[in-house]
Amino acid sequence: MSTQKRTHPLIIAVLSLFSLACLIPFWLVLMISIADEKEVLKHGYSFWPQKFSFVAYQFLAQDAEKILRAYGVSIFVTVVGVVVSLFVTSAMAFSMSRKDFPLRGALSIYILITMLFSGGLLPWYLVYTRFLHVQDTLLALIIPGLIGGFNVIIMRTFFTNSIPPSLIDSAQIDGASEYRTYFSIILPLSLPVLATIGLFITVSYWNDWFTSLVFIQNEKLFSLQYLLNKTLMNASFLQSIANKAYSTTAQVTQPLESIRMAMAMIAIGPLVLVFPFLQKYFVKGLTVGAVKG
Amino acid sequence: MKWLKKGSVILSSLMLTVAMTATGCSSSNNGSNNSPQASSGGDSAAGGLKPYEVVMVFPDAPQKDNELVQNAMNDYLKKTYPDMNVTVKLNPIDWGAWSDKTNLMMASGDKFDLLFTADWLGFQQQVTKGALLPLDDLLAKYGPDIEAVEKNYHDPAKRGGKLYGIHTHQELGGAQGVYLDKALVDKYKFDLSGFKSGNVEALEPMLKTIKENEPGITPLVMPSFPLDAYYSSGTLDQIGNLAAINVKGTAADDFTVINMYNTPRFLELAKMTNKWYKAGYTNKDALTPGLDAWKKIQAGQAFALVGDMDILANMEIGSVSKSPNGSLKAGRDMLQIPLNVDRLQTGKMTATMQAISKTSKDPERAMMLLNLFFKDKNLLTLFNFGIEGTHYVLKDGQVALPDGKTNNDVGYYHDNMWQIGNQMLNYTRVGEDPNKYKNYEKFNEMITKNPSRIFGFVFDPEPVKNEMITIDNANKAFVDGIKSGQLDPEENLPKLLEKQKAAGADKVIAEAQKQLDAWRAANGK
Repeated sequence: MSTQKRTHPLIIAVLSLFSLACLIPFWLVLMISIADEKEVLKHGYSFWPQKFSFVAYQFLAQDAEKILRAYGVSIFVTVVGVVVSLFVTSAMAFSMSRKDFPLRGALSIYILITMLFSGGLLPWYLVYTRFLHVQDTLLALIIPGLIGGFNVIIMRTFFTNSIPPSLIDSAQIDGASEYRTYFSIILPLSLPVLATIGLFITVSYWNDWFTSLVFIQNEKLFSLQYLLNKTLMNASFLQSIANKAYSTTAQVTQPLESIRMAMAMIAIGPLVLVFPFLQKYFVKGLTVGAVKG
Repeated sequence: MKWLKKGSVILSSLMLTVAMTATGCSSSNNGSNNSPQASSGGDSAAGGLKPYEVVMVFPDAPQKDNELVQNAMNDYLKKTYPDMNVTVKLNPIDWGAWSDKTNLMMASGDKFDLLFTADWLGFQQQVTKGALLPLDDLLAKYGPDIEAVEKNYHDPAKRGGKLYGIHTHQELGGAQGVYLDKALVDKYKFDLSGFKSGNVEALEPMLKTIKENEPGITPLVMPSFPLDAYYSSGTLDQIGNLAAINVKGTAADDFTVINMYNTPRFLELAKMTNKWYKAGYTNKDALTPGLDAWKKIQAGQAFALVGDMDILANMEIGSVSKSPNGSLKAGRDMLQIPLNVDRLQTGKMTATMQAISKTSKDPERAMMLLNLFFKDKNLLTLFNFGIEGTHYVLKDGQVALPDGKTNNDVGYYHDNMWQIGNQMLNYTRVGEDPNKYKNYEKFNEMITKNPSRIFGFVFDPEPVKNEMITIDNANKAFVDGIKSGQLDPEENLPKLLEKQKAAGADKVIAEAQKQLDAWRAANGK
C-alpha cells in the first residue's frame, strides 16, 4: 500500500530539475539587475555578483511615473479584457453548443475560417483605424483580443459535452429565461473551462505589445510590455545601424545591461504575484466543476 | 444564486466601466480627428495660401515636450513666414517600431508629408511601391536653398531618372582607422609613425606587447566585421552585395566589375585577422549579436578598435590626434589615427534623406518647409535642440543643458541633427569641437575632390534578385567567420567563392557590368 502511494524518486528528480530550469534564469535576471554595471561589463553575467548595486532600480525610480502609468494601463486592459472576453466568448460558445440554435453550423464555419486564414496586418489595421477609429485609445488594446476562435471552440466543446440538454430544458420548464439559464446555471457549472480560458486570455493580454506598437501614439497609453519591448528594440535597432555610415553626428546611447534586467523584473512582478492566487481558484474551480458536473 | 449575485454585480459594474471608457475615448478621438481635417486645406491656389499642416515623420524616441516644441515652431513659422501659412506636426516614431509603423502608414494611405528615409530604411522599396513623390519640379520651384548646397549630389537618390529624396547637407563621407587607448600608448611609448603607410598591419607589434604585458586586456576588440569598413571603403567602389570595382592598384579608368571577396587585399586582411585571432589578440566573442565594442573599452578591457573616425580638421592618413567623441564614449582619452578617407560615394548620399509622401495633400508646402530647414537657423535649432532657456542654454556659442538638468529630465533632448536640413547652420554642443562644422566644410572640400569612379551610378538589383538572395545565403556560412578571423581563409575563402559561383555570382557581376557600361555611355565617363 505505502509503496504505491509514495511518489517515485525519479519523478521527484525530474520535477526538481524542471523547477530548477524554471528558477535559474529568473535568478540570473534578478542578480544581473542588482549587480554593479562595471562588474557585468568585465566578467559577464554571474549567479552571484561580487559587488551589488541598486543603481538600476534607482534609475527606474526616476522614471517611476511612466512605468506606473504603463502598469496601470496593462492592469486595466488585462482585467477589463479578460472579463469582457470571457463573457463574449462564453456567450458565443454557449449559443453554438445549443442544438436548437439554427445558425450553429454557419457560425462554426465562420469561426473556423478565422482560425485558418488571417486577414493580414493591413486589413486588420484598417478596420480598427478607419472603420472603428479606436487608434490611440484603450479600446484599441482591448477589442482586438476579445475573441479567439480557438477559445470559442474549446468552450463549445465543453458546453456540448458536460452540460446535458435536459438540464436546460428543465430550467426552462421551471420558468427560467434564456438569460437566467445562462447566468445562474450554465456559467457556475462551467467554472473549470472559464478558469482555463481566463488564464489563456490573461496571459495573452498581459504579454501583448504589438497592438500598442501599431495603434498607440500617445505615450500615456503605452502598456508595460510595450514600454519594455520598445527600450530593447530601440537599443538593438540602433546597434544594427551603428555600422552604417549614416553620420558621425549620431551618438548611440545604449540602455545599461542591469537596467534592462531590472525592467524585466518589474514586468514579471504582477503575474508572479497574481499567479498563486489565480491558481488557487483555478484548482478550486476544477473541483467544483467536477463535483457538480 | 450566490454566484449569480456576485457575478452580476461585478459584471455590470465592469460593463459600465467599459462603456464609460468607450464614450470617453471616442469623444477625445473625435476631437483629435477634427483638427487635421480643419487645417488641411486644398491645393495652394494662386491667390493666398490656405492654412496647411505639414506632418513630419521621423525616427526618434518620443520626447516629453514634443508638443511644446511643436507649438514654438508653429509660433515661429507664423511670425516669420506669414504668407506661407503653414504649421507643422511633429510625428516621431520609435526606432524599434519604425518599419512596421511607416509601412502601415504608407499602405493604408495615412496623410503625412515629410518623411525621413535612407537606403538602409527601405528607400528602394518605398520608391518601388510608389509611396514617395518625385521631387524634381518641386525642388526647382520651391527649393532654392536646398539647391544652393546640395545641387551636385542629387544623382544617387534618383530612380528611373526622377529624384525621390533630398540628402541632408552634412559631411559627405567618413574616415576609417584605429582608435587606441592613450594611457597604454604612453605607458609603452608606442611608435605610431608606422600608420603613415595607411596599413592596419602596423598595429601588430603593439597588439603583441599588450597581449604579453597586460593580462585581462583584449589587445584589439572587434564586432563581427572588424576591418570591413576600412577594407571596402578604402579598396572598393561598391555596387551590389558582392559586385565592386577594385580601386586599389588599378588604373583610374578601370571599370571592371569584380567579386569583392576575390581581391588580393581581402585575402591579405583575412589572413592577418585569422593570425591575430589565433594569437589571442582579438576577442573570441566577436560574433555575439549585440556586442558593443565601445563598452569593452569603457570597462577598461580593450586597447584598440578599428572603425569610423571622428571628423577633425586635418584628416591626413596616419596623423595622430585625440578623438573627442571617442574619448567621450570610452570615458578615457582615446587617440584616433585615420587609415583611409572616403571617396565621394553614391551610398553616402542616400544614407540620410527627406522624402515627400505620396499621401501629402500639399507637396508644394512640404517642399517649402523643407527648404526652410536648409536656410533658417532658428527653425533648425528649435527642431534639433528645443526652446532656448527651457531645453538648452547657450554657453560661448555652444548648446548646453540648463542648470540642474540632465538629458533624461530636460524634456527635449535628441540627436536628430543628421536627419534634416543644413547641418552647417547648427550649433555644436558643449564638449564638441566648436569648429566641428568648419571641419566638416573642409573635410567635404577634400572629399569632393576625390569622387568615386562610379559616383551617381545606382545598381538596379531587380534582374538578379533571386541570385542575390542565394548569394546572401551562401555568404552566411562563411563571411562572418572569415571577417572575424575565426575561419582560416586559405581553406574557407575558396569554398565561399565556389558557393557564390554556384549561386550565380557571375550573373550578378555580368549584370552589374552591363548596367555600369550603359551608365558610362549615357554619362560620357
